[in-house]
Amino acid sequence: MRKVALLLVFLLGIAVLALPKEKLVIAGRDGGYGAALQIAVDIFMERNPDVEIELLKLPYKGLYEKLVIDLSAGGGAYDIVMLDDPWATEFMSLGWLQSLEELGYTPDPDFVPTALSVCRYPYPDGELYSLPHVGNVELFAYRKDLFDKYGLASPPKTWADVLEAAAVISANEPGVHGVVFRGRKGNPIVTGFLPILWGFGADIVEEGKVVLNSREAVAALKFFLLLKQYAPEGVEIWNSSEVKEALLAGDAAIAIEVWPAWVPDLDNHDKSKVVGKVEIAPAPGLVEKSSPMLGAWLLGISSASRHKELALKFLEFVTSAEIQKVLTLQAGHAPTRVSVLTDPEVVAKYRWFPSQLAALESAVPRPRVLVWSEIEGILGEYLQLALIGELSPEKALAEAAERIAEVVGE
Amino acid sequence: MRRFRRWRRKYSYFLFLLPALILIVFLTVYPLVRVFYLSFYRYNPIRRVERFAGFANYLRLFSDRFFLTGLKNTFLFSVGATVTEVLLGLGLALLFNVKFRGRKLLLPLVIFPMMFSTMVICAIWRSMYHYDYGIFNYALRSLGFEPVKWLINKDLALWSVVLVDIWQWTPMAFLILLAGLQSIPGELYEAARVDGATGARLFRHVTLPLLRNHIFLALLLRSIDTFKIFDKVYALTGGGPGTATETISFYIYRQGFTYFNMGRASAAAVVMFLAVSAVSLLYIRQVWRGEK
Repeated sequence: MRKVALLLVFLLGIAVLALPKEKLVIAGRDGGYGAALQIAVDIFMERNPDVEIELLKLPYKGLYEKLVIDLSAGGGAYDIVMLDDPWATEFMSLGWLQSLEELGYTPDPDFVPTALSVCRYPYPDGELYSLPHVGNVELFAYRKDLFDKYGLASPPKTWADVLEAAAVISANEPGVHGVVFRGRKGNPIVTGFLPILWGFGADIVEEGKVVLNSREAVAALKFFLLLKQYAPEGVEIWNSSEVKEALLAGDAAIAIEVWPAWVPDLDNHDKSKVVGKVEIAPAPGLVEKSSPMLGAWLLGISSASRHKELALKFLEFVTSAEIQKVLTLQAGHAPTRVSVLTDPEVVAKYRWFPSQLAALESAVPRPRVLVWSEIEGILGEYLQLALIGELSPEKALAEAAERIAEVVGE
Repeated sequence: MRRFRRWRRKYSYFLFLLPALILIVFLTVYPLVRVFYLSFYRYNPIRRVERFAGFANYLRLFSDRFFLTGLKNTFLFSVGATVTEVLLGLGLALLFNVKFRGRKLLLPLVIFPMMFSTMVICAIWRSMYHYDYGIFNYALRSLGFEPVKWLINKDLALWSVVLVDIWQWTPMAFLILLAGLQSIPGELYEAARVDGATGARLFRHVTLPLLRNHIFLALLLRSIDTFKIFDKVYALTGGGPGTATETISFYIYRQGFTYFNMGRASAAAVVMFLAVSAVSLLYIRQVWRGEK
């Protein structure tokens, strides 16, 4: 009897010693996003030695494909998933993410409301399924020095001001293009165009109906083509690297779309020829108020995760004011908390943060539909056909609306 | 017993073929049948849509601007690249069939382009094609010419992609044709010379007929490969500008893996399969006719 008891104690001892660390797997993005999240992961593991976290750093499309395949099958390969906000409707409505309120979480009012609203389903005030991690918002960049030189109102308040400024600077400043943007088909051109579309008072989908074929939308697209006159050759195939290069080299007076992640480089002497000359502002408006596009990255917990409590603990940790401040100062992270965006130490390092907060507060999310990636693909293709002059703006939007209606109608 | 032995003698080789057969059934036959089946469905695994759609997917394809342009571009690309590659390859093979100093050194150099990853090649060509900073336009500008919009001009972009393919794959046509040339017995040329044939006539009546099958093989392999062109388009232009470099594979990829419209992607794949089969049959018949 004693032998058996001893053996049991011995076995129990082994079991305790060999007890594996609790392990979380995070599916996240590569590049700067990955580097920032890695800092948070490292701090978390340091403070919780019994936890092991594996952070997968995946490219944009690869992440989407992997998430869709794993989450739709309920595989549970990932505990925490990082998702772009237009995927949110799909992920949340299909029950792929764990409700955070069910786990006993109540969100902090410190989060910028627009960023938190896309974490809920139904949008904007339903159940909370994720937390806003990266507060990306489309920003507008212009050369303050050139605007002052030609007596142009800065920052430009409306899209009409932008067109005028682009024309004046193109005509008078040799070697400087009036405006640059991403014209590559698909996501880039759509992202560049959306603030203009919204600024003109048009939209793609309203209450489940396609409204793209409107007079306002045609006016917005015609305006986009007018702007293109002052853009460099080949802007049709430009993506973010080209826009960034042109801005940093001082070859561009206006970029209608820049993102928080690459703004810091503009003030970096090693990379930029225009240190201190570029101002950042929210996108201009026209009929409507300024309508910059929201591009938030969210963190959610897979419904199939077996470590939901721990995952929530990490989510709360990484979105806390303390950690957001660390990530912002160390890795140029775009915070989602008002307190971090207005923190004096942070603003001292990133002078455009007040503009970024203003943009974030007035940001418009992309349509909350299941099929956004397909809508974006279709719109991107037709916008480009209009941009290269193969279709008239009217025809391009009419055809795109027809195709999008087919998809939305299902 | 004897019957069993006879049966075994007759059919036992099937047993040895079985592993290969199983592989073919699973990796080729099953997917093929499944693609045919799916092409008649509206099928989206993500949105859990699956319903019979008859010929709707096919009808939709032939009213889709992007698919039709893709079909046209794929044919242009395939024909343009294949013919040029085989002609250039033939020229090079004839050159290398003559013994000259340094031939052994030059041969690896000529087949060099084949050895790189396509993605690396495309990244390099993309920078060479750059409108402002690319080496081609730099050269043109310094010679006093207008720069060319290699990947930007919608009438030129496809041919710029073709050029990269020619650069990369001419060596393959060259190798096939060189092997063909070297398998022609020297006596035939001697006999023809004795009969008074020289230069062009020798080429026309001895070399060409004997090289015929190799030429068809090179044409077949290159046209199948160029017909499924995807990587270069993906890396160089993303199918743009507009629909200028849209191809069938690219269309299938977008429908299948960006929108998860598996039904429509399958229908497009079936169309592509039929087209490739038709082209292959044409070539194979030519080769068989030559053998008779």
